[in-house]
Amino acid sequence: MSSQIAILIAVLLFPGGLFALALGLGLKGADRRIAARLQGRVGPPLVQPFLDLVKLAFKRTMVPTTAHDLVFLGAPLIGVVSMLVAAALVPISGVYSPAPALGNLLVLIYLLLVPAVVLMLAGSSSSSPYGAIGFSREMALMMAYEAPLVLIVAAVAVRTGMAQGHWVTFSLTEIVEYQRTHGLFLLDPVMWPAVAAFGFFYPANLGIVPFDIPEAETEVLEGPLLEYSGPALGLFKIMSALKAVVVIGLDIALFMPLPLDGVPAFLGWVVEMVVLMVAGVTVLRISMGRMRIDQAFVFFLRWPLLLAAASLAVVVV
Amino acid sequence: MSVIERLKTMATKSPWIYRINAGSCNGCDVEMATCALIPRYDVERLGCQYCGSPRHADIVLISGPLTRRVLDATLRVFDEIPDPKVTVAVGVCPISGGIFRESYAVLAPIDQYFPVDVNVPGCPPRPQAIIEGIAQAVQIWRERL
Repeated sequence: MSSQIAILIAVLLFPGGLFALALGLGLKGADRRIAARLQGRVGPPLVQPFLDLVKLAFKRTMVPTTAHDLVFLGAPLIGVVSMLVAAALVPISGVYSPAPALGNLLVLIYLLLVPAVVLMLAGSSSSSPYGAIGFSREMALMMAYEAPLVLIVAAVAVRTGMAQGHWVTFSLTEIVEYQRTHGLFLLDPVMWPAVAAFGFFYPANLGIVPFDIPEAETEVLEGPLLEYSGPALGLFKIMSALKAVVVIGLDIALFMPLPLDGVPAFLGWVVEMVVLMVAGVTVLRISMGRMRIDQAFVFFLRWPLLLAAASLAVVVV
Repeated sequence: MSVIERLKTMATKSPWIYRINAGSCNGCDVEMATCALIPRYDVERLGCQYCGSPRHADIVLISGPLTRRVLDATLRVFDEIPDPKVTVAVGVCPISGGIFRESYAVLAPIDQYFPVDVNVPGCPPRPQAIIEGIAQAVQIWRERL
């Protein structure tokens, strides 16, 4: 019973739930403010994403008459719930490790797919032609970036598993523990291609320029989100804030968990989060234009896939 | 001040803006883009954001004298914006038709068709005037929340 309560706390309070939401909104706010500063503007306050959420709560949700109500309103809920569970699955080195009953790395990969599927559901159920375009682009992009992700995760899992004497391990706790005692994968030349491939994966998963093709505001008017308003749109904002924490948290757990304990470990983790967000997302998005979907598709199946495959091949051989 | 009132005050710090071009000559639209996009008049610091979809909008900026051809489309888009919303008419055209007032194809003044809350006159208005108009619209929006 107590383990169930512990899981519930992990999903709803820390490190999932409220904590992940606050951290995700903070990361989004920092992203917007630093982007504005880099462009020579003052920029919005750090709490702007939170203010946006409060505003959306006061607006009315409109459902198009031609939309499928149940899917249209259910999709954002599924997305938020999946990301809450995913946030509880990501270990924080020296602070938190997920209960084995909650799931392992494989569950996390499946949960990472859910937001993309939810956006596809949202786009197709809204009966808007822009939503339909967003749906097809989201599907193409997802297929392109999932392949490198699977290879990156396989490389890390096999690397850890072989070092421990069995073939492969899908426990994130074991992967973090191994790096705490044997050194970070970030400092291991064999894993460098995989680290670089993950660097391409997470902007695409978070849907930012140059990979924000499904939600491109200037082309397809935010695609799947076009018909959403009010609290339903707010749920999508919550989902993407949580997703930022999950994906960047996964990056940290796979390659760079700090070998510290207690409060320093936690602060170091937050600093890593912010650095990865600013370096991998903010700087990238203000310095690039948007790719076309065919360019992004070919790009992901060429470079990140090749890099991840290179790491996996060296690890296996 | 109750919690709800405090939350409403917080909500007004996130006005999202949608533009409707009702047959404008594009002069006012250029000024509106200037307001947000260049560093000098950065309105993102007020929490403003241009949105592509009318469903996301709180404050709608209408420019142009409202030509007959765009009337139906404009009214439909206007109805897509969820309440509570505030309407700002940008430029002199929505008030009187401006330089197009003699035309048979123009339906100005537009407050016959839209509930205009703030008028920002000018041909085109200065960016400062548009920002002032948005600030007034936010005040009105606060009362409607």
